[in-house]
Amino acid sequence: MLKRSYKNYTYIGYLYILPWIIGFLLLQLVPLVNSLWYSFTQFQLLGDPKFLGLANYKKIFTADATFLQSLKVTFYYVLIAVPLKIGFALLVAIILNQKIKGINLFRTLYYIPSILGGSVAISVLWKYLFMNQGVVNNIIGVIGIPAIDWLGSPELALGTISLVTVWQFGSSMLLFLAGLKQIPVSLYEAARIDGAGRMRIFFQITIPALSPIVLFNLIMQMINAFQDFTGAFVITQGGPLKSTYLYGLMLYDQGFKFFKMGYASALSWILFAIILFFTSLTFRSSESWVHYGDSI
Amino acid sequence: MKRMLILLLIAFLAMGTVFATGSKEVAKEDGPVTLRLSWWGGDSRHTPTLAAMDAYMAKNPNVKLEGEYGGWDGYYQKLVTQIAGGTAADIIQIDQPWLAELSSKGDVFTVIDDSMVDLSQFDAAFLKNYCSYDGKLMGLPTGTNVNTFVVDTKMLADFGIDPNTKWTWENIISEGKKINEQDPSSYFSGATPDNLRAWLEIYIAQLAGAVVDDNKQVAFTEAQGTEAFTYFKRWFDEGIIAPFRQTSLFYQKFQENPDWINGKMAAARIFVSSMEKDFAGRPNFETRQFPVMDGAVNTGILMRPSQIFVVNNNSKNKDEAIKLLAYLFTDAEAIEKLGLARGIPSTAIGRSVLAEKGMISEMVEKATNEGIAQAGDPQSVYQMNSEVIQVMQDVIDEFGFGRLTPEEASAKLIKNLEATLASL
Repeated sequence: MLKRSYKNYTYIGYLYILPWIIGFLLLQLVPLVNSLWYSFTQFQLLGDPKFLGLANYKKIFTADATFLQSLKVTFYYVLIAVPLKIGFALLVAIILNQKIKGINLFRTLYYIPSILGGSVAISVLWKYLFMNQGVVNNIIGVIGIPAIDWLGSPELALGTISLVTVWQFGSSMLLFLAGLKQIPVSLYEAARIDGAGRMRIFFQITIPALSPIVLFNLIMQMINAFQDFTGAFVITQGGPLKSTYLYGLMLYDQGFKFFKMGYASALSWILFAIILFFTSLTFRSSESWVHYGDSI
Repeated sequence: MKRMLILLLIAFLAMGTVFATGSKEVAKEDGPVTLRLSWWGGDSRHTPTLAAMDAYMAKNPNVKLEGEYGGWDGYYQKLVTQIAGGTAADIIQIDQPWLAELSSKGDVFTVIDDSMVDLSQFDAAFLKNYCSYDGKLMGLPTGTNVNTFVVDTKMLADFGIDPNTKWTWENIISEGKKINEQDPSSYFSGATPDNLRAWLEIYIAQLAGAVVDDNKQVAFTEAQGTEAFTYFKRWFDEGIIAPFRQTSLFYQKFQENPDWINGKMAAARIFVSSMEKDFAGRPNFETRQFPVMDGAVNTGILMRPSQIFVVNNNSKNKDEAIKLLAYLFTDAEAIEKLGLARGIPSTAIGRSVLAEKGMISEMVEKATNEGIAQAGDPQSVYQMNSEVIQVMQDVIDEFGFGRLTPEEASAKLIKNLEATLASL
């Protein structure tokens, strides 16, 4: 009798998560498997896929100059945007961790950019801020600096676009803030009694104590940055001279501009492999710099 | 338990494949019919179209029409995805280059013949050249859209240029440079990188007939390419066109460039269909003839349907859909309600109804007539292919940013075009 009711119980558990299971199977697993299959085919969306073997992959690695360009741009983007964003998030978190009057209001205000997300509207706003006749050039014009082609010059455009990402530091910041609150005050007190200065306390206590959160933020932001699309698509469309032609944008062009779904699928599996590689690399390296709980 | 779960999972997967093949309803004869129409545009197109649809529903109570409309951005991507998924609308507004691109991938559209719609209302050559694939009529042109060259007469006069100048390739430079000479932040041309591509296509068409011909071959020689790039290098050197650093942000949206809106650029090559939008509130524009070189093989001036209405071959109510098309194109009531929402109508009855009611604006009519008179041969489907366009654009970007000399640009363009054409 007891056994039977236990069985019923697990059955009901699966029923509860059934919507998720259905969603996962239909909306994620099926497309995932499909795209792997498509990556070995020529598939133009209309008509049936034609099996090509490894031809798509071969072409990507040997005969596609845009692939290399786009990969280069994407690596630069990840290298600029991720450390800046995490550094900025940490800085703001530390400031917002102070006991100041009305601090909750500031926390809310600083989180707002992240609620707006990587939306099209923000990208359009960015375009108007940084275009030649934009607000930023007007402001620096007042102090006599000549207008800068923030988005029009191949040298600066990627950096300018990265700022959109950096500006959306809110979710990382929130995690840091929560982490800061978790650090036992006794650690700081003990350090102070031992005569440690502010910098020493920051690097020897705060950073090691936050390191699990740094790791989490690093991995999440890195994955996001590798896949980023909106800013480059809306603001510069990959230009000027493909200097902001992020991997996601190339994928989109191949898939939805040229309708080469097979080729685009192959590109996305390569991106998946790249992300997997760097994520596991980060995990590996974390053994030497991430400290959990009692190991500080 | 586990077996139950596995069975359940398999059942859902199987359901997925059933969904994927699509559920096919059978339309009942004479029963209520629902037709979906999709188009892109602004409110000036949405409102009249919805009004015409209402009028049709009032006359045909058994038909329910649903409009699916929005802006241009992403329309094509959504459409192709819908066609692939079998969920596209019954009647679809498409852009002319898509007709061949989509038809080449399968029987996507219904073939239309004289028994369904009175085709004598249309110009036969126009239907054959622009709305057919493989010799079969696939859609109906909403209106006639032509390239036109517009100049701000007041701005020209302000800079000491005769507003009535008859433009040649040479005097665009000799006269046009007066603007930038007097005001370094102003330019004769408002061209963005994509506009310059269009200018280059016109120039090469005049020199060699086309960039890419109907046989999928590059139609110009390296020397002709060099000649064209050398000419446009002078546009940059003599201040006819703003540097790409300033304009590349407005790729395909030159009318959003503040320098254009604020009257710092005097001339542009545009399509008549978007004329009002492109003028951006500047009142002094007039249309002019394009420059054509002596002995030009082809003027290179584009004429094409504003858009094409096609009937989805997957539609369950093709007959009803074609009936609706016939109404929209040839019924006086519908023509009046639609007005100029899609340019000057391409049907004889359409033009006469609107002319009678005084609904055709003088400028649009003049620009259209001049464009038709100057129009060159239709571009080959290969020249309009999106990958080919991208190849041209990439070379022009490098050239415009000063990374390629005219000789290098011409050689690279030919090499890249050949590689891409071979893979199509």
